[in-house]
Amino acid sequence: MKNTILILLVSLVALTACRKENNDKDNGLKRVVFDPGHLKFISNSLNPKKETMSALYGNEKALESLSEENKTPEAGTIMKLVTWKYHENPQYIGGTITGELLSIETVQTDNAGNISYDIKNDIAKNTSPNKEERIQYFMSYRPVSRP
Amino acid sequence: MDTVKKKRNFVAIAFLVISGVFGGLQLFSKPLEGKPVTGKIEAPKEVISILENSCFSCHSNQQNLSWYDKIAPVSWAVNKDIRRAREVLNFSEWGKLSPAEHKGNMYAILNMMQSGKMPLHEYTLLHPSAKITPKDIEIIKKYTLSLSSANPAAQHKNEPHPASSIPTAAATKFPVSPNGVQYTPDFKNWKVISMSTLFDNSIRVIYGNDIAVKAVETENFHPWPDGSIVVKSVWKQEELPNGEIRPGKFINAQFMVKDSKQYKDTEGWGFAKFSGDDLHPTGKTASFAKESCIACHRQLAEKTGYLFDVPMKVNTQRLIQNLQKK
Repeated sequence: MKNTILILLVSLVALTACRKENNDKDNGLKRVVFDPGHLKFISNSLNPKKETMSALYGNEKALESLSEENKTPEAGTIMKLVTWKYHENPQYIGGTITGELLSIETVQTDNAGNISYDIKNDIAKNTSPNKEERIQYFMSYRPVSRP
Repeated sequence: MDTVKKKRNFVAIAFLVISGVFGGLQLFSKPLEGKPVTGKIEAPKEVISILENSCFSCHSNQQNLSWYDKIAPVSWAVNKDIRRAREVLNFSEWGKLSPAEHKGNMYAILNMMQSGKMPLHEYTLLHPSAKITPKDIEIIKKYTLSLSSANPAAQHKNEPHPASSIPTAAATKFPVSPNGVQYTPDFKNWKVISMSTLFDNSIRVIYGNDIAVKAVETENFHPWPDGSIVVKSVWKQEELPNGEIRPGKFINAQFMVKDSKQYKDTEGWGFAKFSGDDLHPTGKTASFAKESCIACHRQLAEKTGYLFDVPMKVNTQRLIQNLQKK
């Protein structure tokens, strides 16, 4: 009996110690930069209703498909839409800046022209958007214009 | 008896020496050059009265200095501050500004007041009546925000186009800023570190080179390592029928290049702005950023190494790893 109490006490102390350590490290919060791998930035968007900003990345085929204003992505296309929550810029009134990473959506066309859609988001908000609608939405982007 | 006399002599000599030194100092006190008021700021009366009370003594050609501000060595510090203050913002030469610049300056003023950076602490210590109250800030904020709604299509800053002054060194294909920062299209292949908007209805994408990205991820920006380059690509906002906003017309690309030796006056950052389809550089002299860019970056973005759009510290490594998994 005494031993059981001792074990319980020790584990309690151990658990609290762990929790405290995590708190000391800003709750494990970090400044993160999305790594698109070999994909390049194509365009972005801002949704004032949802308070989100998204960046669209893609490969050469994606760039071609969107430049030509195609309805469907060409074979070999890979596109990723990365969506963030935005906030008032904590250092400047009158500006906003991206904050929490919310989701990463991927549209891919294989060599046979089959289009796949995938979404990864915070497990807590598990939604399954309409695949066709999302592909259409991806295809509504145009590469940004600049010299 | 003798000692009393000695003491008296000593006091007298000390007094003479001190007044002599002070008197001498006044010879080296160059009075502040008077300048005419060419176009005073126009704004609602309550806004002007706050600005006059708290800002005009340094940021205008209408100084209202106390007698002790004019005595050396205090006057040296005061005059230096005023000269610098006028370079950055001068309410007596407001007529030179476009409506967009007027709005931009009001936002800068609001941010400086809100963050407690202005008026300078050293100034309000000697001039307590210049202190601003939360109510003053509310008035400034209300006026500043009203400028945005009144003129939604306005742009940030409309610099005059220095058509013939683009430095065209024979060997350089791309435009060069007067301070030596050269435009490079390489940034289009760099990682996007954040995205942002500003009151001028612009949408911005901020890129960092590998050195800058590593500095963000390891929070190593006090100071940022030399060789860091951050580029902000700016477009006008274009609204779709469903209310979503996309980047429209290209406005400019803004560069910040870290070189602690070359850009000592601007906290080690070389600033550059390349505007329009011809990417014409902003600034007439090499020191242009000293009078414009750095003033706000220095006061308001010190926490993040003088950059405004560093990603916020709000994500967990685990989340991004999970989401980035294929």
